[in-house]
Amino acid sequence: MKLKFLPLVFLLLSVLTVVAEPTAGEIAYAKGDYAGAVEQWQEQGHRDGLTAPLLSALGNAEWKLGRKGRAVLCWERALLLDPRDTVAIAGLRHAQTAGGIERPTASWSENYSAFLSADTWLILAGVSFWGLVLCVALPKFSPKIRGAWYQRGLVTFATLLALSLPGLWGSHTSAQRAVVRRADVALRLTPTAQGEPVSGIGEGDVVRTQRGFNGHTRVQTAEGKTGWVRSGEVEAIWGGGLPANLDQKAAP
Amino acid sequence: MRNAGFLLLAWLALLTVRAEDSVSWEITPAVTGPGQPFRLQVRIESDVILGPADRVGREIKPPRGMALRFSGQIFRSGTTEATLNFSGVSPETEGAHVIPSFNIRFPAKMIQVPKITLNVSNATGFRKDGQARAELELPDRTFYVGERIPGAILLRGSEQEFVSGSFGLECEAEGFSFQLLSDRAQPLDNGQGLLTAFELTPIRTGSSELSLNGIMLIQVGVTSAFSSPSRDRPFTFRRRINVEHVPEAGRPANWNGAIGKFLTDTIQLSNLSPEVGEPIRLRAILAGEGNLERIIPPEIIGGENWDIIPATERRRRAEDQRIFAYTLIPRLPGKLLTPEIRLATFDPETRSFNQVVFAPQAVTVTGTAPAKVDLVKVDPRTGANGAMTKALAGLATPQPNLRSVLSTPVASIQPLAASKSFWATNGILFALLALGLGVVMTMGYLSVHPEILIHYHARRNCHRAARRARQAAQAQDSAAFARAIVAGLRIGSGALLQAKAQALTHRDILRVLPDAPLALLETLFRIAEGDKFAPRPLDTLLAEPSLALALLAQLEAKL
Repeated sequence: MKLKFLPLVFLLLSVLTVVAEPTAGEIAYAKGDYAGAVEQWQEQGHRDGLTAPLLSALGNAEWKLGRKGRAVLCWERALLLDPRDTVAIAGLRHAQTAGGIERPTASWSENYSAFLSADTWLILAGVSFWGLVLCVALPKFSPKIRGAWYQRGLVTFATLLALSLPGLWGSHTSAQRAVVRRADVALRLTPTAQGEPVSGIGEGDVVRTQRGFNGHTRVQTAEGKTGWVRSGEVEAIWGGGLPANLDQKAAP
Repeated sequence: MRNAGFLLLAWLALLTVRAEDSVSWEITPAVTGPGQPFRLQVRIESDVILGPADRVGREIKPPRGMALRFSGQIFRSGTTEATLNFSGVSPETEGAHVIPSFNIRFPAKMIQVPKITLNVSNATGFRKDGQARAELELPDRTFYVGERIPGAILLRGSEQEFVSGSFGLECEAEGFSFQLLSDRAQPLDNGQGLLTAFELTPIRTGSSELSLNGIMLIQVGVTSAFSSPSRDRPFTFRRRINVEHVPEAGRPANWNGAIGKFLTDTIQLSNLSPEVGEPIRLRAILAGEGNLERIIPPEIIGGENWDIIPATERRRRAEDQRIFAYTLIPRLPGKLLTPEIRLATFDPETRSFNQVVFAPQAVTVTGTAPAKVDLVKVDPRTGANGAMTKALAGLATPQPNLRSVLSTPVASIQPLAASKSFWATNGILFALLALGLGVVMTMGYLSVHPEILIHYHARRNCHRAARRARQAAQAQDSAAFARAIVAGLRIGSGALLQAKAQALTHRDILRVLPDAPLALLETLFRIAEGDKFAPRPLDTLLAEPSLALALLAQLEAKL
């Protein structure tokens, strides 16, 4: 009977949060020194690791500094760690409404997958898959263990697996997105340096990425336009920590 | 006759000898003073008809500080000679300055001019007073990306040399956009020179060299309607320029790219007493020196009193002004103030940020408020006293140190799906499970069908018995041969009849092998087991061992 309270304890633990004392970054942010806040939080990220609240705060400060690409990337990555991070959700909404940022419309599977993080979906799918396999296989090893619990487990794990598959697919398609890091990027018809520009995308816009070729990446914009951009002009949402520093270029 | 032949050969040899091209030059004066104009004349004699030279001067790379320009050529049709004239200005430093070797292209051939050395010395007594000269006006400081840098080339003349014009201004610089501010040069205030104004805009950071080249036209001495002794004189400037981004430290959030020195000029309203809902036009005029055209119009918030729509101002009053236009729609009657317009600017001279503020203007709004104006936005987070706990829109307050018990900090946001160990572990587990399932299912099948294993073992024993029988036949041991054959027949028949092998007789073997010769079976059994009951009979078994071995093979095939 006590096991029935286990999910409740788990839920309480997930909600239970700890708020520490204001740090130098928060103080700088409150004073309007956004560059100082960025420096402090970047150092904190390098030192202690990245969390969704830290990334979303960093996104706010970057947005205040006018660096749309870095800001949107921080918020998107914060949502990867915690899909219900309110600061990141508010930031992205603000960027889309007031900042003119364009973001691809999420499909139903992506909206569904936003309920949990991608890793959680994968773990859930893995656990349900193995549970299902064990429920199918264990009676083969020993017919004596066949019983009512086995039937219940079979149905439960099969249901969980079926529910997690759309989440997995939505996480997969969400992962194939990137943020435009350069201002006034030309969407080219061909993956070449002299390719004919067919359209333009602005810094901070989120695009869906497809295949890469010749140092270029094929992308689809929020408007549905498809073309090639230089791979250095976009940064993938998955697979990084803090936004790459593109400003430190070699002198000409 | 012999001498005449030698003379003819010598004449022919002379005709076939190819004359070498002769290139000579002369610099006037031979030694120049620093900054002194000079003239370079290159004379070419060739063995072919040369004709006019083409694209002269494109390959000439004069040394740093020296201006050199092709000024004309002298050639006569049908001749093998050509004379090319260059005009230049010597560098400001003393010493030998080498003009590298360059090519001159004629229709018939290309001729290489070897390197030419120009000697510059202060001992010539040359004085620049009275000489027309070019000066570059450009701020000497670090520039910033997106900044508008005003520059000018001053062509100063004198009473002896009057500057009458200029042409061919070229700019070679990477990382800049170059634009002339007017098509024609403007006269200087003293009337003895010209000014060509231009504008530079850095487009990327780094250090690069700016090179400006051009030619000024000079009239020397007294001019009259019948004689106008004029000449052209090149000029060149090279300047190394450092470009940086506007510093991030202390950069205000409302900085919209304004770099320069700006001030508020005027703020104009199209109507100072509109009615509620009547649009009025607000024009804020920004003046100053800087990148006015590149500034993003500042965003203003209307609040509860105003609806604000950004407008486009098509009319430009002057080059040094920028107009920000907005359409304001009053929502409430009364004496209202227009929203404050605040703009952050960066001063490249002092490297500091400043705020330019257009003060609010008083407007008297007449009329009554519409009944359906949503003056107060209702929000569930509004407290009992009406105070708003949080902003309705915009960025949320960050809480970077918020820690959840289940969320752990990560160094890099990598998906679990990209982990090789995750998939390897799952793959190994799946393989082991499949293997275990296969073993269990195989064993289960064999337990349901035990005859498979019985037949398998019987077949192997029959095979061994046949091998032992062959060995006994080779050893001429008929008793061992018969025992091996009988043992094999019993085991094989026992598996097929599901009976104990030791209990089978030759009659039982006949049930399995009905075509087997009875006499042979009796002989085999008698020899194999006859020792127990009577002396062994004389046998001819080993005369035809293949018959008995064929019985075993037939039985093995049935298993």
